[in-house]
Amino acid sequence: MSGGHFLWGGKPITFETGESIAVAVAKAGVRDLSAGEGGLRRYFCGIGACQNCLVTIEGTLVEACLTPARDGLRVDAPEAGHD
Amino acid sequence: MTERQPLRCDVLVIGGGAAGVAAAAELALAGLSVELAEQRDALGGAYHRQPAGRPTAVHARGRRQWSRLVDAFARAGIAPRLRHVFLGLDSDGLAMLDDRAEGRVLVVRPRALVIAVGAIERVLPRPGWQLPGVMTAGGLQMILKEGGSPPPGDILIAGNGPLTIALAADLARLGHPPVALIEAGDPFARPAAALRLAAYPGLVAEAAGHLARVFASPTPWLRGERLTAIEPRNGRLAATIRDRRGATRTLAADLIALHDGIRPNDFGLPANEESDIVVVRAGDCREALGIRAAIADGRHAARQVIALLTQGPSIADDDAVLRQRRAQAVLGDLFRPIDGADPLAALPDETILCRCEGRTFSELRAMLAEGELSPREIRLNGRFGMGLCQGRFCADNVLHLIAAARPGDPAEPPMRLARDRWPARPVSIAALAADDDEQRES
Ligand SMILES: Cc1cc2nc3c(=O)[nH]c(=O)nc-3n(C[C@H](O)[C@H](O)[C@H](O)COP(=O)(O)OP(=O)(O)OC[C@H]3O[C@@H](n4cnc5c(N)ncnc54)[C@H](O)[C@@H]3O)c2cc1C
Ligand code: FES
Repeated sequence: MSGGHFLWGGKPITFETGESIAVAVAKAGVRDLSAGEGGLRRYFCGIGACQNCLVTIEGTLVEACLTPARDGLRVDAPEAGHD
Repeated sequence: MTERQPLRCDVLVIGGGAAGVAAAAELALAGLSVELAEQRDALGGAYHRQPAGRPTAVHARGRRQWSRLVDAFARAGIAPRLRHVFLGLDSDGLAMLDDRAEGRVLVVRPRALVIAVGAIERVLPRPGWQLPGVMTAGGLQMILKEGGSPPPGDILIAGNGPLTIALAADLARLGHPPVALIEAGDPFARPAAALRLAAYPGLVAEAAGHLARVFASPTPWLRGERLTAIEPRNGRLAATIRDRRGATRTLAADLIALHDGIRPNDFGLPANEESDIVVVRAGDCREALGIRAAIADGRHAARQVIALLTQGPSIADDDAVLRQRRAQAVLGDLFRPIDGADPLAALPDETILCRCEGRTFSELRAMLAEGELSPREIRLNGRFGMGLCQGRFCADNVLHLIAAARPGDPAEPPMRLARDRWPARPVSIAALAADDDEQRES
C-alpha cells in the first residue's frame, strides 16, 4: 500500500502510507465530520473508543480513526439519522 | 456472513499493544496455539502506535524493547489477525471477531481469552467540549504518531497529568509548540510527592526530558489553572482559563486537546467469572498503570492462563507491576489539582454530558430531581450510557453526579450504567444487533 487520494464528501484528500481516514482528514484541516451544522461527528479519542468519528464507506458505518485510507475510496459523512 | 466452523485455538488474545503482544509471545513459547486479534492495521497499541508500513516520526521510549518483543512474537510463529475487531464472547464461549478487511465475522472457540484492549482517557466535561476541533490529548498524540505532523492551526493543551507534558514536548520537537499547556495541578507545589518520585529514576528522567523540551519552547506551562469553557469565535475556538485565584482570561486556538487522566477500557467486556472459558485481562484494560507495567502484566497474564488451563498453582503478583502501581500513586499526588473543588459541581446546565446523543447536565439533573431512579432507569429512560460509546465518556461522570445528589448512598460501579453486554463494539454488523437490543429494552 502507498499514499494517494480518497474522496471525502467528493473532495480529494491526500494521505500518506499507513494513515487512517481520520488522520488524513485532520491533517487536511477538516474538523467537523457531520453531514450538517450542529452534528456530533468528529475526531475525538483516536483509538476507536468514542465512536464520534463514524463515517460511511460504501454504505457501511466505520470509525474513521480505525480505517486505513486507500486510494480512490469514497468516504462520506453519515446521514443525519446516524448522528 | 458468519463462518460455520469456528476456528479453534488454545488462547485468543485481544489487542496488539504491549500487553497483548507480550502475553501472546509468552503463551506461544509455552507451546500453546495462539491467535491475536487487533482492530488496527498495525501492532503497537496506544504507546507504540505507528503507521502501517512506515516508521513513525515521533520518538517513543523503549522502542528497542518493543522491537525485541515483536521479533519474539514473530519467531513464535504468530500471524496477527489485523483489522479484526473483537465484538464479544457469547454464552457458549464463542468469540466473535469482525474481520473488517474481508467484511465477515470470524468465530473463534478458544480455551482461554486474554483481553488486552488498553485504556481510555478521562476527559472532564466542560461547556463546548463537544465542538469540532476539540479532541483528547491522546487523540492528538495518535495523529502525530501515525501522521508525523499535527493538523494545521494553533493548538492549546489543557487538563491534568504527565501525558499532556509529553504531548507538548512532542509538538515542540515537531516545530509546532502549543500556544499554552494548562495544568490543573502544580507539581512544584507538591515537594513531598516530588521526593517520593525520586524512587523511580526512569520516570524522573523521562519527565525531565519532556519538561526541558517544553521550557525551551515558547509554550507557557500554566499550573494550577483550569480550562472551564470553550466556545466558537470567528471560526476558531475561544477557551476560558481560570487561574488559582479565580481570575479568568480567554485564549484562542484552532485545536484544543483535553486530558484528565486515564482509566481501563473495560466497558462491555465479558466478566472473568461469568464465562465458561478462562478469561484474563492484561495491561491497561486490567489496571491503568502505563507502558512500563504493560509488558510485565501481559507476561503475568500468560502465566496465569497457563496455570488456570493446567490447574497449576496460582501465580503471585508481578513485582514490576506492583512497582508501577506505587509509581502511579505518587504521580497522582504530584499532579493533584490545586483547586480541590468538584469540577462537575458548578457546570452550567447546557453542558453536554453524553457526547454520543448530545444529552446535557440539565436533563440528568431533572431526572435526579424526580426521585429515586436506579442507574439502570437513568440509562434506559435518560439514555445516559446508551450511546455508541457504551458509556466510556459519560458513565463515570453520570455516576459521580448521582452520588453527589444522594450523599450517603453506596457508590455504584460504572458498569451499572454502562451497556455491559456484548457486543463490545456496536458498529458495522453489530450496529444492527445493538439497535434491536435497544428497541427491546425501551
Ligand atoms: C489515547 C492514548 C494515548 C496514550 N499516550 C501515551 C503517551 O504518549 N505516553 C505514555 O507513556 N503513555 C500513553 N498512554 C498510555 C499507554 O498507551 C499505555 O500505558 C500502554 O499502551 C498500555 O499498553 P496495553 O497493551 O495495555 O494497551 P494499548 O497499547 O492501548 O493496546 C490495546 C490494543 O487493543 C486494541 N483494541 C482495543 N479494542 C479492541 C477490540 N475491540 N478488538 C480488537 N482490538 C482492540 C487497540 O487497537 C490497541 O492496539 C496513552 C493511552 C491512550 C489511551
Ligand atoms: S475518534 Fe473516537 S472512535 Fe474514532
